[in-house]
Amino acid sequence: MFAEGLFFVFSVLSVLGAIGLVLFRHPMSGAMSLIVTMISLAGLYALLSAKLIFVLQLIVYAGAIMSLILFIIMFLNIQIDDLPNEKGRFYYLLGGIVIIAPIGYFLIKVIKTLPGSETTIIGGGFGGVKEVGLVLFQDWLFPFEIVSILLLVALVGAVVLAGKRRLIK
Amino acid sequence: MIQNYLILSIILFSLGILGVISRRNVFTVFMSIELMLNAANLSFITFSRLHESMDGHVLAMLVMAVAAAEAALALAVVILLHKHKGNLDTDVFSLLKG
Repeated sequence: MFAEGLFFVFSVLSVLGAIGLVLFRHPMSGAMSLIVTMISLAGLYALLSAKLIFVLQLIVYAGAIMSLILFIIMFLNIQIDDLPNEKGRFYYLLGGIVIIAPIGYFLIKVIKTLPGSETTIIGGGFGGVKEVGLVLFQDWLFPFEIVSILLLVALVGAVVLAGKRRLIK
Repeated sequence: MIQNYLILSIILFSLGILGVISRRNVFTVFMSIELMLNAANLSFITFSRLHESMDGHVLAMLVMAVAAAEAALALAVVILLHKHKGNLDTDVFSLLKG
């Protein structure tokens, strides 16, 4: 019963944050509401007994990535006059809802046919650091190495793109 | 019930798509893409809870790493474009249109 109440609170908060991201005009307000969504998603991961992903969501997503985005938004010093003039956005929004709503309804109908399961917390170290690490380094070693190369390439690319131009000229 | 988590994931993904197609601010479009990645992560974790195996957790970690790489590159590109055009409108950035 307590878990259902927590699920209700977290899901309402995450949907409200996402709606705020779509509707707020200034990107700073949008980033703040996206942080609300991230933190409530971390609570949902804890309810699904994914302990390591709960911590990683808080540290990596809500901490590192969102603070990087906020840093860039503040670095560019965006005033309200610099924002693009989005006059037709409510028409685009209505058209998007008309297109997306049937697809979402169909997917929800599909999900209703899945076998249900209780969402009680699993004990025995399910989702802990040691267990997930064993799965990561035994079954998923090759994708892990590819992702490390991807991170290296992204690092070099970001330095080349945003770095100083004096060395090239 | 575990279906509610998947329904929440679909709702968040649809809101992300709506943000991408209805907004013209570069930052809002970028954060909507992040929201879609988060919705995919939620369904990974939910299915891994449903089957009680931990492969979904590993996939969610890989998605987080890809999102971090994407954030670094996309923000560098946004800084460059803002330096060149002095604008954040996605309609201004049409260099590849020919």
